[in-house]
Amino acid sequence: MSQQPAPQLPDPARTPLFYQRGFRSVLTQGIYVALTAIVLAYVIASLDLREFGFGFLSEPAGFKVGNQWLVDVDGVTNSRITMYLVGVWSTLRAVLVAILLATLVGVVVGVARLSSNWLVARMAMLFVEVFRNTPLLVQIVIWYAILLVGAPVIQNVLNVGDFLFLSNRGIAIPWPVPSDGLWGAPDWFVGIWVLALIAVGAVAMRVRAKRQEHERETGRILFANRWAMGVFAAGALISFLILGVPVSIDRPVIEGTSYAEGMLVQPEFAALVLGLTMYTGAFIAEIVRGSIQALPKGQTEAANAIGLTGYQRLTLVILPQALRQMIPSVTNQFLNVNKNSSLAYAVLFDDLFRVATIVQNKAGHALEMFFVIIITYMVISFAISAVMNVLNARVTAHRI
Amino acid sequence: MTQQLPAPQSQRIVLPPHRQRARRPRSVRTREWIHRNLFPSTAGTALTIVSVTFIAALTVGIVWFVFFDANWRVITDNRWLLFAGSFPHDQEWRLWAAMGFVFALIGLSYGMWSSLGRKDHLFIVLTGIAVILFMGHGGAAFWSSLWFLLSIALLFLGYVIARTIGHDRARQRSLLTRVILLRFAFDDAFSLRGGFDKTVPIQTRARAVRVALFPTRTGANRIVGGLLILALPLVLVILLAGGGASMRELDGFVLNLLLAPVGIVGGLVIAIPLAIGRASKLHAIKWTCTAYIEIVRGAPLLGWLFVALFILDDIIGGDLIIRTMVVLAVFTAAYMAEYIRGALQTLPHGQYEAAQAVGLSRGQSLRLIIMPQALRISIPPIVGQAIAIWKDTTLVTVILPLRELKGNADSAIAQSEFIPDRIEAYIFVAVAFWIVAFIMSRISQRMERAQGIGER
Repeated sequence: MSQQPAPQLPDPARTPLFYQRGFRSVLTQGIYVALTAIVLAYVIASLDLREFGFGFLSEPAGFKVGNQWLVDVDGVTNSRITMYLVGVWSTLRAVLVAILLATLVGVVVGVARLSSNWLVARMAMLFVEVFRNTPLLVQIVIWYAILLVGAPVIQNVLNVGDFLFLSNRGIAIPWPVPSDGLWGAPDWFVGIWVLALIAVGAVAMRVRAKRQEHERETGRILFANRWAMGVFAAGALISFLILGVPVSIDRPVIEGTSYAEGMLVQPEFAALVLGLTMYTGAFIAEIVRGSIQALPKGQTEAANAIGLTGYQRLTLVILPQALRQMIPSVTNQFLNVNKNSSLAYAVLFDDLFRVATIVQNKAGHALEMFFVIIITYMVISFAISAVMNVLNARVTAHRI
Repeated sequence: MTQQLPAPQSQRIVLPPHRQRARRPRSVRTREWIHRNLFPSTAGTALTIVSVTFIAALTVGIVWFVFFDANWRVITDNRWLLFAGSFPHDQEWRLWAAMGFVFALIGLSYGMWSSLGRKDHLFIVLTGIAVILFMGHGGAAFWSSLWFLLSIALLFLGYVIARTIGHDRARQRSLLTRVILLRFAFDDAFSLRGGFDKTVPIQTRARAVRVALFPTRTGANRIVGGLLILALPLVLVILLAGGGASMRELDGFVLNLLLAPVGIVGGLVIAIPLAIGRASKLHAIKWTCTAYIEIVRGAPLLGWLFVALFILDDIIGGDLIIRTMVVLAVFTAAYMAEYIRGALQTLPHGQYEAAQAVGLSRGQSLRLIIMPQALRISIPPIVGQAIAIWKDTTLVTVILPLRELKGNADSAIAQSEFIPDRIEAYIFVAVAFWIVAFIMSRISQRMERAQGIGER
């Protein structure tokens, strides 16, 4: 075959300016920026910005915020920003609890959907179809209605072994509190014990890593996880005794028509968390199922072939691999939990969104309050994504 | 013991006659199925027993609640309130007209793009019967039942029409072809000599007329698609124009049914350019689109409805319902744009290069090569988002002074006699939303399967 002459590209210098790529790009973007600027200018011009500013947030609040925990503000002397931060704290609590519970529910239901037991698989499917296809708002108000109307009044409270009480005042559960212990340990011993726990945990992780390494080198089974758990339990118990039992479990009791001691989970909080848990749990279950099904069937077969039990197959072969695929979608669901927690408004749980609307009601400044709301949600979302990214990096550290 | 050898999938092994076993009788197979799926081992049996106990308790609880404990009068007495709220009673026919139009359209599109299975048909028929029972219970029920039946009839009419015209597989047919066909059918009838030729069978003539007059499949697709796009404005015209209801009188389930399509269709319309913009090489466009998507996704929908209530009034004005619709569309668009962008990224780069190689301009390659594929890939998440926005229409009740189904359920249980019946009212709301969301998710699954999405 004879050598063909290379095709002649047009000389860039002689292309008319209008057809040059660089000029085109500048022109398009210029027009685009101008149009965007016009729209923005129109928006800004139509807003009333004469009183724009965030000074109103430091004025005294003048309203109460319910559902407080570990904080005590009455709203008389506190500023609006303080009340808002109390709301943020409530949101954080609800989101954190809901995320943990939803993950648990999601993994259990997702695995159950693939169970070889026909009944269990069907029940899991029913769970997913029911909770995924109904509005979260309605779910939350149903839980709230059940907890308020369906639960017994406090006079005939539902008593689960003097351990847990359920009535329309809420759910009372045991809760750890600092105690005097054996020789009158001061309250700050709890802090020392927590530090000791962290140290013991680090030691346990180290033991686990060592034994795992040894396992890999020698091929002998050294029960790394059991050893780590044992070390942790022993360390925790010893430090607990040395510090003179600084923590005791406070069981709830009924005094007249109200709960005392223990920890009261208010119906609003319980309804919000239940709603978020079930709704998000259903979505996470679908993600778990999808990522397990996406694994090659050979993985299950190989696990069977080397004689693993069903539980071992799940925890050692299937879930660790499925986790890699799950984390991005599950992160998305966690971010949704954060945003959906604003539905607390419907059950009058004083989360950040509701406190913000109360502030807006009292003081106006809707635009500023909106900025505050969106920035808070973005910060929380960012924190969740950051944690999940770290987790993702750890899970995907080993290439398959 | 329960481990089974994997059955060979690719080829059937034909056993020699002396080793062939007769197909075991049905009772044996059933027993085996039960053994394998319910009682495979001790743990499996325990699991089954626990599940059976749980299911039995749940069933008894639900039956007890539904048939003995619950007071469903909170629903039946407030039918109109829940369905249409403050929609003026003397304009009721508008609702039914709109419903008939929408049903006919559903029938048409269903006939065109039928994608449901037999089980789903059964589900829809049962739902229809439930709705008739719900609407046709006491009061002025006779007329509403009649209207509803008429709407169902329109649904079937649309289906039949779509089936009749939809099977013509030709892509297009020129006007000239149509004229020639018509001439073939009627030429002799108008000729001066001989008159009507009786030897040509009437069926042949009818067929020629049908082919000449009816649209081809592509044409029918376009017509139904256009009607679907026009459906919402038309429904609004039917409801509001010429002395109908005012904007604020739209509430109850009708409001949910109006808001969700606006969010979905409006969102998709905004999302497509947004996704293209986000994938653009031009920095100004890319960054503004990214900022839009991230900011909208950063705040919850309630936050944006807050904007509709307090801030958007100064910018675009208009009725609160209009502002809510705008917010819903803008909100949905950000999520859908992300899904479409994801699909754009998964397209092999060769598609872009091939489009360029055959000399398509950038606009042409987007319109003809890239977007059709990207949209096809992103159907499942987009339908998921559509279901999400359908459920999220309940949120307008929370901070806006709009009353959709959940809001009107709140009004129903505010009546003094129904105060203890809030669980019943909310469960009804949940079921109403569930039915629509379930049908949507079924259609999505069917579409996925039909398009082979997710298969390798």
